[in-house]
Amino acid sequence: MDIKFDRCAAVVFLAVGLLSVIGSRGIASSSYGSVVGPDIFPLFLGILLMILAIRLFYETFQVSRSAGKKEKLRYKPFFIIFIATLLYILTLETIGYVITTFVFLFICFQTMEKGKWVTSLIISAGFSGVIYFLFVNVLKGTLPGWPIWFS
Amino acid sequence: MTTIEYLMNGFGTALIWYNLLFAFVGVLIGTAVGVLPGIGPMSGVALLIPVTATITGGLPPEQAATSAIILLAGVYYGAMYGGSTTSILLNTPGESSSVVTTLDGYQMAKKGRAGSALSIAAIGSFVGGAVTIIAMVLLAEPLSNIALKFGPAEYFSLMLLGLAAVSGLAGKSVTKALMMTICGLLIGTIGIDNVSGIARFTFDIPWLYQGIEFLTIAVGLFALGEVFKTILEKEEEEEDIAKINNLLPSKSELKESAGPIARGSILGFFIGILPGAGATLASFFSYLTEKRISKTPEKFGTGTIAGVAAPETANNAASGGAMIPLLTLGIPGSGTTAILMGALMMYNVQPGPLLFDEHPDVAWGLIASMFIGNIMLLILNLPLVKVFAKIILTPKKYLLPIIIAISIFGVYAVQVSTYDLLLLLACGGLGYFLSKNDYPIAPLVLGLVLGPMIENNMRRALTITDGDYSIFFTRPLSLTFLIITALWLLIPVFMKMKGKKVIINVEG
Repeated sequence: MDIKFDRCAAVVFLAVGLLSVIGSRGIASSSYGSVVGPDIFPLFLGILLMILAIRLFYETFQVSRSAGKKEKLRYKPFFIIFIATLLYILTLETIGYVITTFVFLFICFQTMEKGKWVTSLIISAGFSGVIYFLFVNVLKGTLPGWPIWFS
Repeated sequence: MTTIEYLMNGFGTALIWYNLLFAFVGVLIGTAVGVLPGIGPMSGVALLIPVTATITGGLPPEQAATSAIILLAGVYYGAMYGGSTTSILLNTPGESSSVVTTLDGYQMAKKGRAGSALSIAAIGSFVGGAVTIIAMVLLAEPLSNIALKFGPAEYFSLMLLGLAAVSGLAGKSVTKALMMTICGLLIGTIGIDNVSGIARFTFDIPWLYQGIEFLTIAVGLFALGEVFKTILEKEEEEEDIAKINNLLPSKSELKESAGPIARGSILGFFIGILPGAGATLASFFSYLTEKRISKTPEKFGTGTIAGVAAPETANNAASGGAMIPLLTLGIPGSGTTAILMGALMMYNVQPGPLLFDEHPDVAWGLIASMFIGNIMLLILNLPLVKVFAKIILTPKKYLLPIIIAISIFGVYAVQVSTYDLLLLLACGGLGYFLSKNDYPIAPLVLGLVLGPMIENNMRRALTITDGDYSIFFTRPLSLTFLIITALWLLIPVFMKMKGKKVIINVEG
């Protein structure tokens, strides 16, 4: 367990709690016909969250600093895939489902393990094509299919 | 109508060809989910919600809800079957609920008795599933009749109990679990308030007015979170799959496991009903019980068949038992049932005491289909177990990106919004870092699903009394629930102070 993470998290949660308390004070305190308005519930939650965050902060001092074994995390592929997913999401509506999915899958396959170009190409093309065909032609759903400048 | 008639109608619904197909696909995917170590029942069910939503899109709403829930529940209990396969053959549990099975199952496989271990696991799972379904049929009516007498105050307290139970058992730190619950509840308040129509925490962003969609959060936290985890913490472990020789257990083995199966079904069922305690706890408890009452406890851990039969029966019985509070009270007791509840609510079907009156097709169709699904699983698993064991060899390199692609496709197909996709990705990252640091995710999803209901019941109760909070303490049932809630949260704290070990539930 990472004590640093817990402390940061405690501060973040404290801030969230505080903000929701402040935010809920801006909500009308009563609705017609009821003395209990929409502000009560978030107000309670905010206060509770703040109390718990303070308790978590206090707990981090009690835990004896145990030397946790350092695992080696593979950050590089993670970041590549994360960024690829982000780009995929952002370009989905403009370039369309088929092309973005194909490119995204191909990049991810190659990031996970280099080589076997042909298999990667076939699987990514197959997946994007089959899903698009099934969803749009068989199930009559809507997906942005092709680049907007085509249609 | 009597219970029997309702049940017969339920079978009528479950036996429609497409519902049979849905049940079959559900248990098939469920078994695969159980076999694959990366995906648990929670992320499996979450991933399939949007997919089923699109497939059932052409059906009338109520039938669509029935078919969807049949498929999703099939994934849930199918995963319990599949989990045992890899525990026995590879010593790698596919689910946390079959961790105990590895103790004796893998030892049996080493001795060349993998076949009988697998078949006993399948038979035990079937018996456990069947027993809970019968108990469910018997308990459903009386329980929902009791629940109908509940007022808003009782509901509020009962839901608090459910949340406390799940948070109390969810992880290493109760504080963190409670924080996640509160976060879930807070996220649930975003959007337009149901009662007064006032926008809360929307910051004038139109996308936030309809509230944060539960589906996006669940798929992001569970499915994407687990994918990111596997990418970051890749472990290269290639183990040989144990050979399966004779599939059928001998007579003496059957005789030996009859007792554990019977006890496991009953124990598993009751643990399953308890909120917060799920299949994982059930399998642990039944294993320990068998060890305690056994005449030869030293045999446990060396490959005794009772050590496979008991936990595998119990985890299946528990997954059925967990459906009871969901269907009759409308209160999910675990992460997976919370996701099932969210799925039902997407179809405008509100689980709870009125479910059996308003949507008998959904409730009884589901119960009947669980029976059929269990038979399918038994037939599927005995001869095809070798095929399923091969699934584990699916290269992660292809599996993980495809899971990401399915999540994105699913969320976009239902929400048609890029904002939801961005939220999905953010939840994926958050899900990884939170669960890595022991912040359990299941309570957050539970809070998100239950939040609006808790708030509505609280406000209704307070409106009745004109803002007097004593209603929660003066009504006897409500007070009882609140006392149990307090005990549930406080007893572990005292036990820890005394230096006792507290059992926790790692699953959802």
